[in-house]
Amino acid sequence: MSLDITAADVNHAARAVKVSKIYGEGDAAVRALDSVTVGFPSGRFTAIMGPSGSGKSTLMHCLAGLDVVTSGNVYLGQTDLSSLDDKALTQLRRDQVGFIFQAYNLLPTLTALENITLPLDLAGRKPDQAWLDQVIDTVGLRPRLTHRPTELSGGQQQRVAVARALATRPQIVFADEPTGNLDSRSGAEILTFLEKSVDELGQTIVMVTHDPTAAGYADAAVFLADGHIVDEMEGPTAERVLDRLKTLEA
Amino acid sequence: MRRVMIKGLLAHKLRLALTAVSVVLGVGFVAGTFVLTDTLAHTFDSLFAEVNGNTDAQIRSTKELSPVNPADANRGPIPDSLLAAVQKVDGVAEAGGYLGGPATIVGKNGKLLGGQAPNFGASASNLGTLSPFKIKEGRAPKGETEVVIDAGTAKREHFALGDEIRIESSLTGSYTLVGTVGFGKQDNLAGAKFALWDVPTTQQVLHRRGEFDTISVRAKEGVSQAEIVDRLRQVLPAGVEAITSDAATAQQADDVKKSLSFFSTFLLAFAAVSLFVGSFIIYNTFTIIVAQRLRELALLRALGASRKQVTRSVLAEGLIVGFFASLVGVGFGVLVAIGLKALFSAVGADLPSTSMVIKPRTVIVPILVGVVITTLSSWGPARKASKVPPVAAIRGAEGIPEGRSLRRRLISGGLVLGVGLLALAGGLFGGGGIGLIGIGALFFYGGVAMLSPLAAGPLARLIGSPGARLGTPGRLGQLNAMRNPRRTSSTAAALMIGLGLVSFVTILAASLKTSFAATLDRSVKADYIVQGPNGGQGKFSRQVALQMSQRQELSIVSAMRFNGEFKLEGETKHEDAVDPYTFGAIMDIDVRKGKLVDFLPGAVLVSDKVAADKGYQLGQRIKMVFPRTGEQLMEIVATYHDDALFSNGYIITLDDFGENAGDDLDSLVLVKRAKGVTDATARAAVAPILQQFPAAELQSQEDFKKQVASQIDGLLLFVVILLLLAVFIALIGIVNTLALSIFERTRELGLLRAVGMGRRQMKRMIRWESVIITILGAVLGLAVGAFFGWAAVSAMGDIGVDRLSFPALRLVLFVVLSGAAGVIAAIFPARRAAKLDVLDAIAHV
Repeated sequence: MSLDITAADVNHAARAVKVSKIYGEGDAAVRALDSVTVGFPSGRFTAIMGPSGSGKSTLMHCLAGLDVVTSGNVYLGQTDLSSLDDKALTQLRRDQVGFIFQAYNLLPTLTALENITLPLDLAGRKPDQAWLDQVIDTVGLRPRLTHRPTELSGGQQQRVAVARALATRPQIVFADEPTGNLDSRSGAEILTFLEKSVDELGQTIVMVTHDPTAAGYADAAVFLADGHIVDEMEGPTAERVLDRLKTLEA
Repeated sequence: MRRVMIKGLLAHKLRLALTAVSVVLGVGFVAGTFVLTDTLAHTFDSLFAEVNGNTDAQIRSTKELSPVNPADANRGPIPDSLLAAVQKVDGVAEAGGYLGGPATIVGKNGKLLGGQAPNFGASASNLGTLSPFKIKEGRAPKGETEVVIDAGTAKREHFALGDEIRIESSLTGSYTLVGTVGFGKQDNLAGAKFALWDVPTTQQVLHRRGEFDTISVRAKEGVSQAEIVDRLRQVLPAGVEAITSDAATAQQADDVKKSLSFFSTFLLAFAAVSLFVGSFIIYNTFTIIVAQRLRELALLRALGASRKQVTRSVLAEGLIVGFFASLVGVGFGVLVAIGLKALFSAVGADLPSTSMVIKPRTVIVPILVGVVITTLSSWGPARKASKVPPVAAIRGAEGIPEGRSLRRRLISGGLVLGVGLLALAGGLFGGGGIGLIGIGALFFYGGVAMLSPLAAGPLARLIGSPGARLGTPGRLGQLNAMRNPRRTSSTAAALMIGLGLVSFVTILAASLKTSFAATLDRSVKADYIVQGPNGGQGKFSRQVALQMSQRQELSIVSAMRFNGEFKLEGETKHEDAVDPYTFGAIMDIDVRKGKLVDFLPGAVLVSDKVAADKGYQLGQRIKMVFPRTGEQLMEIVATYHDDALFSNGYIITLDDFGENAGDDLDSLVLVKRAKGVTDATARAAVAPILQQFPAAELQSQEDFKKQVASQIDGLLLFVVILLLLAVFIALIGIVNTLALSIFERTRELGLLRAVGMGRRQMKRMIRWESVIITILGAVLGLAVGAFFGWAAVSAMGDIGVDRLSFPALRLVLFVVLSGAAGVIAAIFPARRAAKLDVLDAIAHV
C-alpha cells in the first residue's frame, strides 16, 4: 500500500485520487474527506482506522460506489466510478464488490444458502459450484444452509454475510465494522475467516474498524483523522494500533 | 401524552393521508346520497306546490289504487257529471275537471317519442287559471281534431302550429297542433312529454268516457281553503271526497318522498359497503403504524405511561383522523351528488335540477358515521399497542411474546362465520328480509376475513409461483407476500369485499338471464312477441292485436294485459288477463287441475301456490272486487303450476279485465306464423300495422330473450359502477399498505440495492408483491361471491330463478383486471422503493 500512487499502478484493487467529500453548503458545510489519495493493493487485508468522525466510513462508501465524491476520482480496478451511471454502479456492486455490514446483512425471508447466492441470483448467474463449496466450508456453514436468519446466532449470521460477500469472487470486499455487534469469540472467528479468504482464497479485503484487536488481523492499516490520511502501518498489532489511535485522539 | 400524540400525528402525515382518503370517499358517498335525495325531495315539494298553486281544493275519489306501474292512476275515477254541481256551490270562483292517461306522441320520423319521463295525454282544462299549464303559443284546443303539446317537445321535434301530429293512446289518431303550453316559466314539466285535448276528446282518446280524475276548485276572495272544502262536501256523493290544496300538495310530496327513501336506502347500501371496506383500510394502517412505533410506544410505557393512556392515544389518533377526514368527506359529498345525478342521467332517468339542499343531518350523520367507524377500526390496534411491554424499548420486537394462537383465530373466525351463515339463511329462507341478509353478509365477510390468514400463505405461494419462476425479483416478491399472512390477507380482504359483491351480482345476473331464457323456452311457443315501448314497460293499442288477427299469414295472435287491480277479502291484489281462445295454443303454464277449455268470461285461473295458500278448490267461486265493475263472483276453473311469467297468481279473461281497466291498451301480444309462411312474409304482413302504431314493437322470441338479457346487463352495469367505489377504496388501501411496508423494510431494501439489485428489479419485486395481493383478494372475493350467488339462487327458486349460471369468462376477467390493478397500485410504492438512497436506507433504524 502506498500513499503516492499514479494512474500507472495496476496492482491496486481500489484507489482514491484527491478525493474530497463535502456535506451541506456554506457555513454548514462539513468536509468529511479532504483531498484523500490512497490505494489498496490486491490480495491484501487492509484496515481503515480512525476516531469517530474521521471519515473512515465515508471513504469506504466512496470506494464502494455507494456514495458520490464531491471532487477527485475513485477507481475500482481500472474503472473510474465517476463515469458510471446508477445502473452500471449497481451492476458493479453486484458482480465486482462484496459487502459485509455491521448488522442486518441478511434477508429474513431467505435461507442461509439463498442469502449467500443472492447477488448471483440477482445477476441471473449460476454459481461456480466448486468456489461456492470452498467458501461455505471456509466459514463452516455447511450444516446451516437451510436455516433462516432468525434461526441463526449473531456470529452465524455474520458468517453467512462473509460467505455472501465472497460468493461472487469479487475484486474487492468491503467490511464496515463486521465484528461490532459480536462477542469477542464470534468476532475472532469472523476475522479469522476474513484473513483466510485473503491468504487461502486470494481475495482483497478493506475493513473499516475502530477496534485495535480487529486491526491486528490485517496486513496493513491506514489511519484517518478529520478527513485526512495521517499515517499508515505495515503488519499492525493490537498494541501498536492502540498506541497510534491514542495519539490521534489527543 | 396529548403532545406526544399530536406530534406523532403531524410527523406521519403522509402515512395517515391515504387512510384519510378512504374515509373521505366512504363518508362522501353517504353525504352525497343525502344531498341528492334532499335536493330531489325539495324539488318535488316545490313542483307540487306549483302544480296545485292556483287551486284551493281538490275533489277526487276515495278509492285508492296501488298500480304496479307508477305511471298509472293511483285513485279511482269520478263521474264528470259532478262538475255542474260543484260549480254551483256558493264560494266557488272557478272549477274544472281534469283527466289524464298514457299517450305517446309520434315524432316526425314516425318513431315514438319515448324516454324515461312520463308521456301522457290530458285534458286542457282551465289553462292558465286553475291549471299550472299556460299557453305559450297559439290557443287551447277545441274539438276532436285539435291538440296542444308541451313547448319543449314542440321545440325539440320542430313541430309548428298547423302540423298534423299523430298520438298513440287507447285511441290512436292524428290531430292538428293549435298551440303549445309550458309549465310556469319552463317549457315542460320535469322532462315529461304531453299532449292536451279538450275534455270530451280526452275522454274519448283515453277510453274514459264520463270520467274525470279530479276536479280542481278555486274559491272566491275571502273564502279559505278549509271553508270551501266544507261547502263542497255537502254536494259530493259517497265515494268522492274534497281536500284542501295544501293537504293535496303535502300528500303528493309525501308519496314521492316514500319512493325517494327507498332510493336513498338503495344508495346508502352501497355507501355502507364502501365504509365497510374503509374500515379494513383503517384497521390495517393503524396496525402497521403501531408495529412501526413499537419502540416509541414501549419507551412511553417504560417512562410510566399506563396501558389505558397508550390505548387512548392511539384511539384518539383514529378519532382525529376520522373527524377531519369526515369533514372533507362531507364537502366531497356534494361532488358525489353531482356525479350520481350524471350517472342516473346516463341511464336515462333524468332528475330535475335545482340548487343543492344541504340539511343539518347531511353534515352531522356522515361525520358521526365516519368518526365512529374510524375509531372502532382503530380499537383493535389500539389495544395491541397497549400490550407492548416496556422491555421492547430495548430489545425491539423480540421483547414481545408471541400473539394469539392459531386455534383461537380458527375458533373466533369460525364463530363469526357461523353467525353470518345463520343470519343469511334466516334472511333468505326464513323470510327475515333484506336487513337480516345484510347483517348475515357482513358477518360472513368478517368471518372469512378472520380465517383468511390461514389460507393466505399457501395461496400467496401458489399465485406467486409464476413470478418466482421468472427470476429473483419475482421470488422475493412472492416471499414478501408470504412472510406476514395476517397483513397480506387483511390487505387483500378489503378488495375481497368489493370483488365479492361484483362477482355475486354478475353471477346473479347470469343466473337470471339463464333462468328467464329457460322459462321462456319452456312456456312460450310464439314466433314473435309484441311489446310496448320502454323495454316493454309501456302499453300499446288493442288495435294492433285486432288487426293482426285478421292477417292470414298469422295463425295465432294472443293478446295479454298485466297487473290490473282488485281487492280480495280487503287485501289489494293484482291480476293478469289473457285471451281464452288463443292462450292455450301459444303458452304452456302447466295446467295441473281443471281444463283451459272451461276458461271463459266469469272464470279465473289461479296458480297452484295461491290455491294452496288460500285453500281454493276447483269449481269454487271467489269474490273479486274490481275498481269499476265492483264485486264479481269468479269461478276457479283450473290451476296452473308454472307461475314464472304469471306470478300475480290470478288470470282472468281479457273481456273481464277490459271493463275495469283505465285504458284500452294491451301489454303484450304473442304471435305465431301460419304453416308454410316464411319469416319474411309474416314480417311484411305486419309491417303496415306496426307503422300505424309505433308504440308496438315486434321481435322474434330469440331477440326478445336477448333484449331482456341486455336489460338485465344494463342494471348489472349500473350496480357494478356503484360498487366500483368500494373497489377503488380497496385499491387505495393496497397502495397504502404497500407504501407503509416499504417504509418498514427500508433497511432491507437498502441492503438489496447494496448487493446489486437494480432499480428496475426492485420495482418488479414490489409489483409482484402487489399483484399477488390483488389476485388473492380477487380469488377470495370470487369464492365468496359464488357462495352468495348459489345461496341467492337457491332462495329464489320459487320465483322462477332456478338456474345457477357462472359466466366463466367474466369472472376470469375480474381476476385478470385485479392483477392489472395490482400493477397500477404498485406504481407509487415501487417508485418510492427504487428512489431510496442506498446509504440512507442501510443506515435506517
